[in-house]
Amino acid sequence: MTEAIPASRCLRCGRVVAPPVPFCPDHPAPMEPVSIDGYGDVVSFTTLHSPPEGFRSPLHLALVALDGGARLFCHGAGTRGIRVGSRVAVEAVDQVYYFSHLGLLDRARLFWHRAGDRGETVAAIVKSAAKRIWRRGDGGGT
Amino acid sequence: MPNVWIAGAGMTRFGKRQESLPDLVAEAARSALSRAQLETPDSIVVASMNPEEFIGEGNFASRIATHMGFAHVPALRVETATSSGAAAIYSGFAGVAAGLYRSVLVVGGEKMTHLPTPRVSELIGRSIDPHERSYGATMPALAGLVTRALMAATGVTLKEISQVSVKNHAHGALNPYAHFREPLSPDAVLESRIVADPLRLYHCCPISDGAAAVVLSADPSPVRIAGIGQGTDTLAVRYRESLVSFRATRAAARAAYAMAGFGAERVEVAEVHDAFSPFELMALEDLGLVPPGKAARATLSGETALDGRLPVNPSGGLKARGHPLAATGIAQVVELFWQLIGQAHGRQVTATVGLSHSIGGLATNNWVILLERVG
Repeated sequence: MTEAIPASRCLRCGRVVAPPVPFCPDHPAPMEPVSIDGYGDVVSFTTLHSPPEGFRSPLHLALVALDGGARLFCHGAGTRGIRVGSRVAVEAVDQVYYFSHLGLLDRARLFWHRAGDRGETVAAIVKSAAKRIWRRGDGGGT
Repeated sequence: MPNVWIAGAGMTRFGKRQESLPDLVAEAARSALSRAQLETPDSIVVASMNPEEFIGEGNFASRIATHMGFAHVPALRVETATSSGAAAIYSGFAGVAAGLYRSVLVVGGEKMTHLPTPRVSELIGRSIDPHERSYGATMPALAGLVTRALMAATGVTLKEISQVSVKNHAHGALNPYAHFREPLSPDAVLESRIVADPLRLYHCCPISDGAAAVVLSADPSPVRIAGIGQGTDTLAVRYRESLVSFRATRAAARAAYAMAGFGAERVEVAEVHDAFSPFELMALEDLGLVPPGKAARATLSGETALDGRLPVNPSGGLKARGHPLAATGIAQVVELFWQLIGQAHGRQVTATVGLSHSIGGLATNNWVILLERVG
C-alpha cells in the first residue's frame, strides 16, 4: 500500500511542502492542498543516543525527499543498510511518519503498482518484447 | 554612510561562572567602556537569547541598564537565537550610522551551566521548527543530519572534521578567556561518545556562561566596521534544497562584502561559528575564504591554524572559547578587535581585515561582520 501524504503546493512557484501549511515559506502566496506518494530517497539520517524526554533511545531520524517534491522528517526502526540516497517507503503510524528500507522485492512491487493506470501499456510492451524474443528464437541462425 | 568605529571591547572569561548574568554582563560592559574611555553611552543594546528561561528574568534591557547605573539611558534587547550578539551589533551599528547616537554600548551574555544539560538542550532546541522538534530533533540531531549529508556529498572524513576541534583547542589553550584551555588529540575526538551519529561529543561546542561587549562610536578610532550583513533561511530544515551549504551564510557574506566594497580576498583572520566542527568547514567555503571543496584540505594542512595563511578561530572558536549563546557574536568581534590592534597576547596574528560569522538557530538567521584597521 502506498501512503498518501497530505502536503501543499505553492500556486506561484510550485514548491511542495509537508505537512500542509497555508503559506509558501518563500512567497506570501497561498498554497493548495495536494497529496503525494510515500516513497522517496534518504537525504540524511542520524541516531540519537540521548534523545529528548519522551522519546525512546536510540532514536533513529531520517530526512526523506519524497518523489512528490516535499521533504519529510521520519522515525525509523533502525538505520542498518540505510545510506544517503537509499530508497525508502514512508508510512504514518499514529500520525507519526516512519521510513522503511525498500528491498528489491518492494521495488518490483512498487514498479508494478506505479504502472497502475498504465498497466495495459506496460503489459503491451512486455508482450511485444516477448514476441520479439520468440521471433528471434524462431528464426534462429539467420 | 558615515563610518562606525569600535571604540572599545571587553569580555569575561567564558566557562562555568558563579556570578549572576547581570554581573557578568556588567563586567564585560565596564571593560569595553573603560577601553573606550567613556563613562556613559548614548544608548545600550542588550543581547540575550533566553534569560526568561535560563535565569528567570525578563525585561532584560532595563534590568541591565538599571544594574549598571544606566537607568536613564535608552536601552533595548535584540534576539536572533544563537546569533543574537551579532544582531545586537547590527542594531548598534545602525543607530550610529543613522546619526541617532554618537555612541552605543552593545553587550550580550548568557548563563546556562547551572541547569542540567537536557534542560539546556531543550531550551536551545526551541529555536527549531515545531514540527521537526515533535520528531525529537535537537540542535545536535540537525547538525548530525547536516554532517552525514556533507560527508556523503563531498567525501569529507570524520578525521578532517575532527581536525577542526583539535586546531581550535590548540588555539583556546593560548586564550586566557577560553572555556577550555587543554589541547585535544585527534584520537580523543574520534573516541568521544556519539551524540548524533556521526557527530561525537568533541565535535560539539560546550555549554558556557559569559558575556562580551563592544562600544560603537561615530568618533574615529583605529578599527571600523567595514561591512555587516544578515542572511536568512527557512526555520524548517526540511524546506531547504541543500543541507551541505547554508544559504543564510552565503547571503550574509554577500551583503557584508557589498557594504565593505571588498571581498574575501582581503580577509586575513576569521572567527567563524563552529558550534559543530563540520560547520567551520562549511563556513570557510560559504564565506568564499577557501575555494569550494578545499576546506578540509586547508584545515588538515594547517592553512587555518594560528601560523597559517588564514588563521581561523584564533580565540579557540565556539568549541574551545565556549558558547554562551548571545555573548558569542560579540566575543568574535572582541577577538578580531584585539587581533587588529595587536593586543591578542599569546595568540597574535598579523592582520588588518578580519571577518566574523555567527549562526542563529540551525542557520536561519546568520550574520557576517567585517572589521578593518585604518591607518
